[in-house]
Amino acid sequence: MATTVLPRPKQYDDTFFKPISLWLTTTDHKLIGIMYMVTSIISFVIGGIFALIIRLQLSQPNLHLVDAETYNQIVSSHGVTMIFFFVTIFVTGIANYMVPLMIGARDMAFPRVNLLGFWLIPVSILLYYCGFLTGGSLNAGWTGYTPLTEKAFNNHSLGVDFWALSIIVWAISGIMASTNFLTTIVALRAPGMRFSRLPLFVWAQISTSILLLIVGAPLAAAMILLEFDRQLGTQFFTTQGRPVLYQHLFWFFGHPEVYVMILPAFGLISEIVPVFARKPIFGYMSMVAALFGIVFLSMTVWAHHMFTVGMNTYVEGFFMLMTMLIAVPTGIKFFNWIATAWWGSVEFTVPMKFVFGFLATFLIGGITGIFLASVPVDTQLHQSYYVVAHLHYVLFGGSVFAILAGVYYWFPKITGRMLNRTLGEWNFWTVFVGFNGTFLIMHTLGLEGMPRRIWTYANPSWATTNMIITISSFLIAFSILLFLINVVNSWRHGEIAGNDPWQGNTLEWATTSPPPPYNFERVPPVRSFMPLRDLRESGEVVEPEPVLTPT
Amino acid sequence: MARSARALLTTIGLAAVALVLSSCDTGGLSPIFPEPVSPNGRDIYDTYFYISLVAIVVFVGVESALLWVVLRYRRGKRPAGYVPPQVHGHTGLEIAWTIAPLIIVLSIAAYSFVELQKNFQPITNQEMTVKISGHQFGWNYDYLNGVVVHQEGSLVAEVPPFVVPTNTLVKLQFDADDVIHSWWVPSISGKTDAVPGYDNFSWLKIDRPGKWRGECAELCGSGHAQMQIIVQAMDKPDFDAWMAQQKAATASPSPSPSQ
Repeated sequence: MATTVLPRPKQYDDTFFKPISLWLTTTDHKLIGIMYMVTSIISFVIGGIFALIIRLQLSQPNLHLVDAETYNQIVSSHGVTMIFFFVTIFVTGIANYMVPLMIGARDMAFPRVNLLGFWLIPVSILLYYCGFLTGGSLNAGWTGYTPLTEKAFNNHSLGVDFWALSIIVWAISGIMASTNFLTTIVALRAPGMRFSRLPLFVWAQISTSILLLIVGAPLAAAMILLEFDRQLGTQFFTTQGRPVLYQHLFWFFGHPEVYVMILPAFGLISEIVPVFARKPIFGYMSMVAALFGIVFLSMTVWAHHMFTVGMNTYVEGFFMLMTMLIAVPTGIKFFNWIATAWWGSVEFTVPMKFVFGFLATFLIGGITGIFLASVPVDTQLHQSYYVVAHLHYVLFGGSVFAILAGVYYWFPKITGRMLNRTLGEWNFWTVFVGFNGTFLIMHTLGLEGMPRRIWTYANPSWATTNMIITISSFLIAFSILLFLINVVNSWRHGEIAGNDPWQGNTLEWATTSPPPPYNFERVPPVRSFMPLRDLRESGEVVEPEPVLTPT
Repeated sequence: MARSARALLTTIGLAAVALVLSSCDTGGLSPIFPEPVSPNGRDIYDTYFYISLVAIVVFVGVESALLWVVLRYRRGKRPAGYVPPQVHGHTGLEIAWTIAPLIIVLSIAAYSFVELQKNFQPITNQEMTVKISGHQFGWNYDYLNGVVVHQEGSLVAEVPPFVVPTNTLVKLQFDADDVIHSWWVPSISGKTDAVPGYDNFSWLKIDRPGKWRGECAELCGSGHAQMQIIVQAMDKPDFDAWMAQQKAATASPSPSPSQ
């Protein structure tokens, strides 16, 4: 039996602080991935501060911490920052780092496009915040519905214009990244890495990229038309035009965007569960099929955000049916994850705890989604705090929990060091309790009639619930602070991880931690969708020494 | 390990208690919106209730399965060196959990669709029509007989009520003067958007006298939060008296042709 000795790579720069010129000019997908992730975490902190201001303002009735106009800007900026600049950017970054490693490639297919695509993101973020310098940012919610964003009703600042510009740049960057991912996965797979052996995280990235490629352009188109209205005096979405057309264009992007944020999360969960349950993923083929089922369905459901604008009831019925059908592929994935862990030998490391946190909370977001999909029920729940609770169960309990699971899982690969486990446990339990404390009872506010995006309220019976929510939201903030301390501290002083601390299944664990600029000295043979496990079990792999030395 | 298992149990237990608590009417934490006073609202209430029954079964079932994995299949419970069965899938099971959710969602969709056809079609048998138009920041209620109630938004003062007679089918037609607004009184029925230049409608038939509150539900600018709504239902004689009074009040400053 041939033995593949993974050689110790040549010495390379693995210091915590790298020269700025390297960061500016590198085409290494790993460094670009790190830049994506760090940028997105900065956005997460900014968006989180906006969230805390919102919660303070709503903690009691009739508060005047910020005025109504500022509040509307903060609400809009919270949404834009979290959706466009945090979650989407983070999942792009982690995929940028991991996809080439997982398919045994040396880099992305278009390294310079990759670098350009990344640098468009800080440009997009800065463009958005420029709005604040012109007298106020976007103030109409992250959806920016017309005619409220039209010049006739929004002429006090250039906030809307900077937002539209920012989103156009963002969409171009997303289209670049998606093209790059698809080309890389099609063209640069290692020998033996057939499509039927691709890790599910890579499959998730294929489906995400297809989705963003299709819906990114309509978003940019909507923003360009809005700018025509504002700056050139056209009448596409004005009061004299078709305000509802804007909603169709926006949600044709906006709903699939939800899946752009959640499909990579599904991919992460599908990678982590088998590793810690010591079982192969249950139903590999149905997992892949479910991803593409979601991609297709997600483009046929956008008008479920518009059930109250007054559409034909048969049209509404169609969108209701398609929306509910998404429960089927999502259910397949859910049951397959449970079946993967069933009979397993499940180790509840910190990443696995976040995975179970994801499963427990995302389920609630999925179930409330069925209520919202039912047209009659939606006319009650729409635009209320019930929707706010639902979307945070999907995006925070879903995407963010999966992102945290992914960070705890892949941090050793990216930095060569483990995240501190005790801090990680604290991070998990505080965020789990804080998250549910914030958003579980938020459903009831919506049921009692509290609309979303209101600056303040007079109803005294909402006061207690709002206060509990505000206190819990600070628990989340505390937990994220623990997370940040853990990341910064462990990056410099953490325990040396070695190449494969979790006994992983996929190729990224076959190289050193962190991997050398060229990723693999020699790409190991791929004979199934768990190539590394095959090598480990057949005794063919002898691991080299870790690159980092203990401090 | 044991400590974190206990912590997980506590959290899930607390969540369950919260859910059970919220299923009883505790005032502050209601699991369902207030019981509506209009038949279309009551049908929505019933739809919500029936979906909840299915949802609770699914929720309890799946969360129990997760809890079972946590308690039963954790590595600490396994003998050292235990290698789990390397199952790659099971076609029968995978088909089962494709079909089961399909049946559930198709039933919910069918039930909702019947309710949609029943209450959300344009009506022609109304006994009265009111044109509601939203503006920044308030509502105007045009009774089409010269009487218009102006409900200018306010966070501090009580806004003038939109008055309707009880047990009368009132068609509501929506329009907006500037940006999009959304008219929502949870105790009556769902919300209806008022989009400029776009016809929209709803209806109500309130079965008892009383006053109900609502708010604008679509962000419409800095005064969004002050667009309060008050709907007051009066018995027919009281309503007629109120209407006569309004007519007298409108007649003096700007006389309008009687209809």
